[in-house]
Amino acid sequence: MENNCRILNRIVQINIANVKYSDLELSGNTCFVGTNNFGKTSLQRAILFFYSANTRGLGISSSQKPFEEHYFKFENSYLIYEIQTENKPFFVIIYRHNKLVFRFVDAEYNPDFFFNENDEAIKIKEVISGLDKRGVFVSQQIDTFERYRNIIYGTETDKVLSKFHILKGNEKYQNIPKSITNVFLSSKSSIDSRFIKDFIANSLTTENSSIKLEQVERQLRQFNEKYSDIETYIKKDTQQLIEFIDKKYDQVHMLKGAQMEMADKLGSSLRYAETQNETVIKASQDKQAELDRITEINDEQKTLLEEKQKDVREEIGYYDRTIREANKKLKDYKEKNIEQAVDKNAEREKIQVELNIARREYESLTSNVQSIEMKFSSLIEQLRNDKTAYVNKINSRTSEIFNHYNELQLLQKNEFNKKEAELKQKREDALLEINSEMTEKQIEFNELKAEEKVIRNTRFYETEIKAHETELADLRAINYKNKSELAIKTNLVQSNQKDWEALETKLKSSLSNQIQKTNNEIIRIKTEIKNIEEKLNVQHNALYGYLEKNVKDWQHTIGKVVNEELLFRTDLNPSLTEEQGLSLYGVSLKLDDVKIVSKSIEEYQFEKNERLAIIRDLEESLNQFQTANNEEKMLAADKYGKQLGELKEDLKVLTYSLELAEKREKKLILELEDWRQRASTEIEQSLSGNRQKLNIIEEELSILNKKKNNLLNDFNLQFDQLKAFNNERLADLKSRQESEISELEVEKKNQVKEYEEKERELSSEKESNFKAKGVDSKEIGKIDARIKELQEVLKEIDQYAQIVSDYLKDKREIFDKLPDLIQKKDEYVKSANDLTAELEEISRKYNIKRMELNKQKRALEEELIEFNNGINYFTKNFRETPVFNKYADIIDRAEPKKTNYSVMDLCTQLLKNDSHFNEEYGAFQRYVNEFAGKFRLDNHFNFIIRNDATQGEYERFAQNLRSFVNENKIELSIAETATQIGLVTDSIATKVRELSGQKDKIQHIITLIAEDFKKAEFEESKLIEFIKIRLEDSDNKVYKLLKRIQEFREENGLVYNEGLFNTDFATHKHREISNRAVKLLDQLRTAIKEQEQEEIRLQDLFELKFNIKEGLNETGWTHKIDSIGSTGTDILVKAIIYITLLHVFIKESSHRGSSDFKVHCIIDEVGQISAHYLRELLRFAKNRNIMMINGLPNKSGLEAHYKYTYQFRREENNNVRIFPSIVTEVEA
Amino acid sequence: MEETNFNLPKQTHEIFAIMARGAFISSNGSRDGMNRLYDVINNPENFDRLQAYFNVIRYNIERGNNFFYFSKLNEPNSELEKKLERFERYIDIIDLFASMDNKIGIGSRFRPSEIAEECNANVRLKQKLQKIPLYRSETLHNKVREICELMSRDSYLELEDEKSESYKVLDSYNYLLDVINSIAIYEEGTSASDDNQAIIYN
Repeated sequence: MENNCRILNRIVQINIANVKYSDLELSGNTCFVGTNNFGKTSLQRAILFFYSANTRGLGISSSQKPFEEHYFKFENSYLIYEIQTENKPFFVIIYRHNKLVFRFVDAEYNPDFFFNENDEAIKIKEVISGLDKRGVFVSQQIDTFERYRNIIYGTETDKVLSKFHILKGNEKYQNIPKSITNVFLSSKSSIDSRFIKDFIANSLTTENSSIKLEQVERQLRQFNEKYSDIETYIKKDTQQLIEFIDKKYDQVHMLKGAQMEMADKLGSSLRYAETQNETVIKASQDKQAELDRITEINDEQKTLLEEKQKDVREEIGYYDRTIREANKKLKDYKEKNIEQAVDKNAEREKIQVELNIARREYESLTSNVQSIEMKFSSLIEQLRNDKTAYVNKINSRTSEIFNHYNELQLLQKNEFNKKEAELKQKREDALLEINSEMTEKQIEFNELKAEEKVIRNTRFYETEIKAHETELADLRAINYKNKSELAIKTNLVQSNQKDWEALETKLKSSLSNQIQKTNNEIIRIKTEIKNIEEKLNVQHNALYGYLEKNVKDWQHTIGKVVNEELLFRTDLNPSLTEEQGLSLYGVSLKLDDVKIVSKSIEEYQFEKNERLAIIRDLEESLNQFQTANNEEKMLAADKYGKQLGELKEDLKVLTYSLELAEKREKKLILELEDWRQRASTEIEQSLSGNRQKLNIIEEELSILNKKKNNLLNDFNLQFDQLKAFNNERLADLKSRQESEISELEVEKKNQVKEYEEKERELSSEKESNFKAKGVDSKEIGKIDARIKELQEVLKEIDQYAQIVSDYLKDKREIFDKLPDLIQKKDEYVKSANDLTAELEEISRKYNIKRMELNKQKRALEEELIEFNNGINYFTKNFRETPVFNKYADIIDRAEPKKTNYSVMDLCTQLLKNDSHFNEEYGAFQRYVNEFAGKFRLDNHFNFIIRNDATQGEYERFAQNLRSFVNENKIELSIAETATQIGLVTDSIATKVRELSGQKDKIQHIITLIAEDFKKAEFEESKLIEFIKIRLEDSDNKVYKLLKRIQEFREENGLVYNEGLFNTDFATHKHREISNRAVKLLDQLRTAIKEQEQEEIRLQDLFELKFNIKEGLNETGWTHKIDSIGSTGTDILVKAIIYITLLHVFIKESSHRGSSDFKVHCIIDEVGQISAHYLRELLRFAKNRNIMMINGLPNKSGLEAHYKYTYQFRREENNNVRIFPSIVTEVEA
Repeated sequence: MEETNFNLPKQTHEIFAIMARGAFISSNGSRDGMNRLYDVINNPENFDRLQAYFNVIRYNIERGNNFFYFSKLNEPNSELEKKLERFERYIDIIDLFASMDNKIGIGSRFRPSEIAEECNANVRLKQKLQKIPLYRSETLHNKVREICELMSRDSYLELEDEKSESYKVLDSYNYLLDVINSIAIYEEGTSASDDNQAIIYN
């Protein structure tokens, strides 16, 4: 047993795997001999587990049972490691308590602790209680591997446990177990520099310290895809397509809306038609009944009035006739000088008296001469009688002639009168006929006039016009409201945009300020790092390096008095002089209180690392700032974008609704105009019908007038002819009367003259007789003349006595009543007029009402026809079309409502519009497909549309696209992508920096290894002349690109996101930088794809080359060292290299003061090595405080070189027994 | 001639390799960076250089609506005839595509199974598909597949997702439509001189 040195002294297996019990000492070189599958490797793993305490790093393949399950099968399975220390040993128990746990026991291993009197392994509880009873310290259960390693490698802070260490490791102590593990795991591989690289790298790094290319590739892919999406989006073609889609969507939307509206109208109209059919028929019948009723009433009224009118007319006719006859009589009387006759008749009495007086006077005068008188008087009387008889005879003949002619005249007059009366009657009849016809026409004319008046007063399509006017007014009111809302929202958009821009500018400037500030700080720190690096780089060749190598504890002497600059000067050529002492050029100084000026390499390294950490922190905080800034930007974009989007959407909606309203207004105005036009046309049509009728009637009236005039003229002519004939006939009769009478008068005159002559003769004879008798005849003559004269007057008066009497009778009975008759007639005329007016009024009213009802009835009938036509058209020409199916829901669900459009028009329009809609929709679909097709299938904007997408999906696509544009989401995406490029490059740079930061460690280790090789005493055996090792730059393409990205990142900092898609000339530089970044990332992505490497590890950062000379063979600088010589040589070289590596790592990872420990190097197969080489190897290891544990397949004499040799044997029960082989150690 | 004399883009070889085999480069193609190649050719400076370069080897870059292709200068008539014969098959295919309910146009994405299903459900389409003489596949689905494969080979379609067998119609499809639209059908009995003219002319 080695003393005063810490070492794993013993390994005890109790019920471990197939080993029931084994207790093996390991404090020197140890060899396990046994054929394959006897448990050599298992035991070596168990030893390795002591150092690594990592069940996953033991080289157990995934097909094998895990360490815990294979080793710790039982409750009482224990693995016990005893560690030799400077004082007394302690041991560690490993057992399974669900998982593997550890306990440290402050005592030498004693089997009694674990076995009972029956040699059965006891449970851990009993073990612990047994130990407690014995007063042995047992630690608490150590649950984690890490804590166990901390304790074993002396970094545990718990004082109770800190003594249970094998060595005092520093912060890098993890390299020791790693190195031991790596030697064990790679011992079977051929010797390649890659394994050495892996060895060094794996020893220096943790599992996570690699750049996972899959992750990088994912980031790059994500970035690249986003970048490409954005690039596609901002292309001119794509933008044009967006505009087309937007426009087409509006059109399609509008058309669809119009179609739906129309479908709704169609549905309403149809429902209305269906529900109103009966009602309309009923209404039409009601109108007809009403019409019949008013016609009947009108007829009754008319008949009544006409009867009254007839009575009145008869009265008027009577009075008219009476008055006319009276006037005629009066006229006849006047023609006969009736007044003179009446006057004369009034004097008759007086003349009669005068005659009687004259007669009495004459009788008194002639009383003396009565006989003569008598004689002569009788003679004269006789004569006179003759004369009178003659005169009478003549007169009678005259009178006879007169009467005859008068009778003839009378007959003629009668004939005339009769004819005239007949003619008059005829005329009256004809006139009556014409007049009645004229009256009829006049009535008709008046009716038409009244109808015209009604038509003029009727407002056709009043409902429609009113509805349009109301709608127009409403529309204008809404328009006004919308316009003001539009103005308000436009202002709001502008102000929001300004706010957003202001905020963006603020964020941008704050980011650029922060970036500037951080970059300045980074530059400053980088300068400091550069200074430190310069020091570190030159330290090997400078005074510092010399002191490190040659002067022990120089920091406490020279380090306190030397200028730091001097330490790193390379031109001082330091050398050790003979005189050594603690003096400065011979002057002794007390330096206890003097501060050390110089710093250790670790301190410089630490300072550098500290500064690098500061840079990282700064960049991290900048990143955070940028992220926060971006987040703020995104929040603003989200807030303003959303608001603006909504507002813009509103604006669009408002503009659209205004456009629609404008269109609607125009349409309404046109429709209103149309309705008005239709109304006026209707009036015109009705009026023109009326006018035509009026014209015809006027024409007819004028014809009738003409006819009447002709008739009158004709009759007048006939009258005139009749009169003329009558007058002629009368004149002829009169002239014949007069001539015959005048002939008789002449005859009478002559005869009377004869008679008067004779009388005069008789009178003169009488006179002479009287004279003879003395009587005054003169006086008698006078009286006689007087008597004659009076008689004549009386005669004349008597001649007119009858007429006067008639006259007076007529006067009394007729003429005096004439004013009354006229008045009565006037009254009747007035009454007749009133009746006519009344009749006209009734007719007018009736006509208006009739027309109104007719109109209503006609309208209802037309409506009914339209309904039926509409329903028929719909059933025959619309219901089976796809258009109906498309809008069936709307049509079927519509409420019955009257619309201004006919079903037929609506069907036609719907069909027509649908074809237009299909055309527009096709174009819309094509645009959407073309647009979506420009993007990747899984583009991050989610611009995807399936080929069999529904209309709704296409419309949603367009809506989403519109929102995307309105909310300016592309800016967000650009910002995100810009941030992403920053983050990706930053993440790559950080990873590369972290990884390449360890390159220094590699360099350091390689230097140490190279030095260790140098120190090796190969010369002794002369087997190996030298082993040289050197580092070269990596030729890994991916790493090179990663490095370039890191350099790019260092060079340009974080400011390259602004110009990612910016075409602004002002930021041209940024764009160039961005393009470079994009290009670099693209190249990296391609390289990763081509190289198919999963990760970039530390070993990819450099190339390791060896140059080995064995005997006369020199390999030259090569990656591979498997062809140096024989297999044995190769194994030796490999083992030497591993041991060197292990030695270097142990040295590096352990505390400076800790040198009194030994560790094991486990290399399984060394069977092919020669004894000579083995001895060389064991010595090489021993010089480095390393004990070898090797495996041999069988005893070959090699085992003689080991301190302990154990043999493995499988027993019948399949258990393995391990027992020490009795050999003699030749040399170690 | 040295490429460097022309100051050509570095993708020239790639462009040539695609277009020289009679394929198109479409702006909406995404496989093998086709859209990038389109952008490269579409760059006016590059276009002139490439045109000049390819003219030397008797190729002419033709620009379509968002696509490019090669035409050969002074191509022999026999070659043209072959091309026409090859084109004939597309008349029926485009007729089928245009008759689908969901019309297939530029940028459309579809799976052969969808088209086969629609053809199966629609006798008219089924007849159209069956009429296409080139293919021997027994099922409709396989027939559509073959059509898609042919069109992909001729770079009118692009297999976007192999897993779901999703194809995208490329901009070069416009070429087919343009040619179809240029076909003039002459009635029989027209003058002989008319008959002698090409059936398809541009």
